[in-house]
Amino acid sequence: MNLLVLYLLLLKASVTSFSGLGSLPMVRDDFVVERHLLTDHQLNMAVVAGRTGPGPFGLYLVCVAYEVGGIPGACVGFLALITPAFLVIPLMRWIGARADIPRVRSAIRGLLLASVGLLVSSSVPLTQDAFTGVFSVILMVASFAVLTFTRIDSAWLMLGAAGAGLAASLFR
Amino acid sequence: MNPPQNPPPSVKKLTEIFFRIGNTTFGGGYVTIGMLGRELVDARRWINAEKFDLAFAIARVTPGTNLIAFCAAIGALICGVAGAIGAVLALTAPSSALAVLIAYGFERWQGNRIAMAAIGGTVAAVAGMMWATIWIILKPHVGGTTWNGMIRNLQVVLIAGGAFVASWIFGLTPLPIILAGTLTGFLWKDAKKP
Repeated sequence: MNLLVLYLLLLKASVTSFSGLGSLPMVRDDFVVERHLLTDHQLNMAVVAGRTGPGPFGLYLVCVAYEVGGIPGACVGFLALITPAFLVIPLMRWIGARADIPRVRSAIRGLLLASVGLLVSSSVPLTQDAFTGVFSVILMVASFAVLTFTRIDSAWLMLGAAGAGLAASLFR
Repeated sequence: MNPPQNPPPSVKKLTEIFFRIGNTTFGGGYVTIGMLGRELVDARRWINAEKFDLAFAIARVTPGTNLIAFCAAIGALICGVAGAIGAVLALTAPSSALAVLIAYGFERWQGNRIAMAAIGGTVAAVAGMMWATIWIILKPHVGGTTWNGMIRNLQVVLIAGGAFVASWIFGLTPLPIILAGTLTGFLWKDAKKP
């Protein structure tokens, strides 16, 4: 596939969404339904790969581009992923200059609180999915406590959780 | 009142922080934002909580992946455009390469009992991290037991709770929910004294 077309398709999906996985319906429509460049299974694997590693969930776009165009495709996907982010700089200048106005500050707070509500709504299914028994609850509570009450780096937490998962599997 | 801020770092130093946190934090954008808040606001004091919240709010309405826009905003606030570019590249380039490697190897791992046990442990930890991040973001917006504090708490319950219900029960997409939250905030002023 032409890399410019690939870039434009991914950019369209990225620029019309407002969250990491928000572009998924458009990507599926373009790559699976319309152009038959990917199967649903390949798209699923790209999403899982994007969620498994560190970084934002939107990284799945890079995996989609890799599935379609190999390494050059992945590079193009990477560019499509980061391009819209720089729109934030003029937005910051414009809104930032008005951030001390009480009504603007309140509007920003309202936006932030609505985002928290959305975050809770996306955390519930993730938590249900992660629940596999008492051991998983212990890991969840421990990771909440470590992040909230200590300054331990999250990388150590992830390493510890992986080790605990491994140790638990040995005793099953 | 905000504690005094430290002078801005070099672009190289800022990039190192984004590289370390962005490529070792699992669980998606909000968890990474929580970790960046701990590091940049609480530990290093390169940016205050209000500017951090402003970057978070504006990144939320910027098209694309929120976390990447957030990094560009924070990088620009601390070190200008060079900081924005450094922050975005440090956060996304290595993790993109890793995501491609995972996509390549994932089907092979599915048959590997050891790899799947380790992944199961990290999935549970990520769920706990998501809830910790919610608390880290929400904490500065929760009032006390004074009249103004109670009003602020009511705003938290109504706006955040309303957004949750709109998404979870009614299945609304994020954009109208965020717009409604912003409008509510605009019309119902924050009771916090300046």
